[in-house]
Amino acid sequence: MQTSNIKLIIQREFNERVRKKSFFLSTLITPLMMVALMAAPALIMKYSRGEQKRIAVIDDSGLVAPRLENNEEILFETTDLAPDQARKRLTDLFGILCIGGDILENPANVRLYANASPSLSLESQITAQIEKILETEKLKAYNIEELDRILAEVKTTVTLQTFRNDKSPEGDSQAQSSAAATATGYVLGFILYMFLMIYGSMVMQSVIEEKNSRVLEVMVSSVRPFDLMMGKILGVAAVAVVQILIWGVLVLAVGGLVIPRLIPAEAMAGIQAMQQGIPDAASMNGLDPEMLQTMAVMTDSGYLLKLFGCLLLFVFGGYLLYSAMFAAVGSAVDNIQDASQLQLPITLPIVLALLMMLAVIEDPNSQLAFWFSIIPFTSPVVMMARIPYGIPLWEILLSLALLYASFVGMVWLAAKIYRVGIFMYGKKPTLKELLKWMRYKY
Amino acid sequence: MKDLLTVEHVSKRYANHTALDDVSLSIPEGSVYGLLGPNGAGKTTLIRIINRITAPDSGRILFDGHDLAPEDICRIGYLPEERGLYKKMKVGEQALFFARLKGLSRRDATARLKQWFEKFGIQGWWDKRVEELSKGMAQKVQFIVTVLHEPRLLIFDEPFSGFDPINANLLKEEILSLREQGATVIFSTHNMSSVEEICDHITLINRSKNILSGQVDDIRHRHGSNLFEVAYRGDEHSLRQAIAASCEILEGAAEESVYKTIRIHVRRDDEVRAVIAAVNEAVDLRSFREIIPSMNDIFIRAVNGSL
Repeated sequence: MQTSNIKLIIQREFNERVRKKSFFLSTLITPLMMVALMAAPALIMKYSRGEQKRIAVIDDSGLVAPRLENNEEILFETTDLAPDQARKRLTDLFGILCIGGDILENPANVRLYANASPSLSLESQITAQIEKILETEKLKAYNIEELDRILAEVKTTVTLQTFRNDKSPEGDSQAQSSAAATATGYVLGFILYMFLMIYGSMVMQSVIEEKNSRVLEVMVSSVRPFDLMMGKILGVAAVAVVQILIWGVLVLAVGGLVIPRLIPAEAMAGIQAMQQGIPDAASMNGLDPEMLQTMAVMTDSGYLLKLFGCLLLFVFGGYLLYSAMFAAVGSAVDNIQDASQLQLPITLPIVLALLMMLAVIEDPNSQLAFWFSIIPFTSPVVMMARIPYGIPLWEILLSLALLYASFVGMVWLAAKIYRVGIFMYGKKPTLKELLKWMRYKY
Repeated sequence: MKDLLTVEHVSKRYANHTALDDVSLSIPEGSVYGLLGPNGAGKTTLIRIINRITAPDSGRILFDGHDLAPEDICRIGYLPEERGLYKKMKVGEQALFFARLKGLSRRDATARLKQWFEKFGIQGWWDKRVEELSKGMAQKVQFIVTVLHEPRLLIFDEPFSGFDPINANLLKEEILSLREQGATVIFSTHNMSSVEEICDHITLINRSKNILSGQVDDIRHRHGSNLFEVAYRGDEHSLRQAIAASCEILEGAAEESVYKTIRIHVRRDDEVRAVIAAVNEAVDLRSFREIIPSMNDIFIRAVNGSL
């Protein structure tokens, strides 16, 4: 009878939320928001450049000015005016660049008279261009034949491809892209953080609402307070799981079906070569290997499935742990306003986990990373951020085991607070009182 | 008559006060049992113990002859004083949910709900959200939810609060008709007039103790002894003098069109005849009538410790 009651409560909690329009909308909009959030810094960088800056050049040496190259940011214009005159007249330009006649011997003889404060990147662009021009000029003094060809030939760009020897059983080392792992780690850690916060406080709000509308009084005459609390926690968990499953299907569909069709055939061959760990074929296609590696990860269904499996387990476990605490706090107060202070011990570790995640992603194999991904309160967020880097299975299992064990303990404690709290009206309890309630016998 | 519910020496202590102190009572099957007492006396705690919401520190509860067990919850219907429904849920869906929590199948519950909705003339509410209903309307739904699973024991905590007189009357009739059908009703209130109207038995709880238990009529007669109303013609002063030795005068003479009346309390049973004689001597005696106290009087006197 009691298990069927829990089932009924789970059903009610689940239906009530999933039938809402807001569930449908948030399920669809959140992934878009995530993409937007990641694209935002790039977009801001792109559009924050501002307009091209016009700079007048007075070159006494005659060496530099003809070879200065214009780009999106700077437009160089040679002028015959004397520096003093130019500074007075050309006030509508961004600035005047004066290059001394002895520039080869005295590289410090360059001055920029700006009409507005120049950015660091502008200054470094100008110095870099001048340095290059001077270097070439000095090389010329050695009278080397075919200098231009030699210079073009020695110019090299290095792209590092990383492979994990310990990852594959048959010795063919799988390609691993740090860039992709970092991005995925961020996204996963952030998803975890969001789920803990959003779904946890959803449980709290729902408990407060039940208490406020006094449905609780009616409910407890039919079900045990513990069943009521667990039913609510699990019902909301079911909503979270469904949401993740929907996202999982979306990502797999995009990664497994849509992307391969959009990519040209030769690039696809490169990606498959990457996935199979035969990087030579990939690099021979003349495509950017870093890009190929990222694409290889994005379209590797097995890898994605593994990530989603872990995501589900950690979201579920982390949510259970935190929602039990949220439920206890919800039961103790009469309205949301009173909850904020009691919530602090709950939100603090979640925020700490988020901060730790940012540190851990820089160095996923550090001691710090290890411990914070094992300790239950921070482990869901931190571990999820590490998983894309490929960490040993035993660490994941240990972390999960501790997480679920601490959930059981937390539910036991939370239930004790809950069944006292739901009958307490009026005075806002302190944290100390909550702890005292744990010792009440019922 | 058999007792449906027996409370034996139940005590319950909280951190800094005692809610129930060795309370015993038995509730006969098919009765309407009033559970009375001032606020904070321990009524709600007792009801929660009967509902298995909390457990007593000591003592036990017998339901139909056996120790109260978790399954018995399905045979109890409880309408708490502070009632509430899920505001966002639809009326019909919500009633179904509560009915199924009490162990009804979906089909049974739907059929019974249809009947009740028809009886109260509220078929049109099925798909309304609870937040669209007025308070009185929501109370009706709540009542249906309480009785739908046809429990053997019904517990109503201040059932009439929040009802207008017409609906309160409807509710009273429903409660009495449920008793006709064999249900036992526990009725917690401090509205004494409703106690006289519908309760057969009562228990009065004050400061966590059971201070008065029994049949309503019994109690009223038991505590009505030696309270009289005298109607007479003549001089009030000489009447007072005549009976001052053996009586306490509760209310002074009220001037009426034909007779004056006075209320007196005769101190000892065996002095009643002497008092009548004395009154007869002093004034022109027209009536000498015993007053059966209202439950309200008894309640106040019992709580003040002057019973």
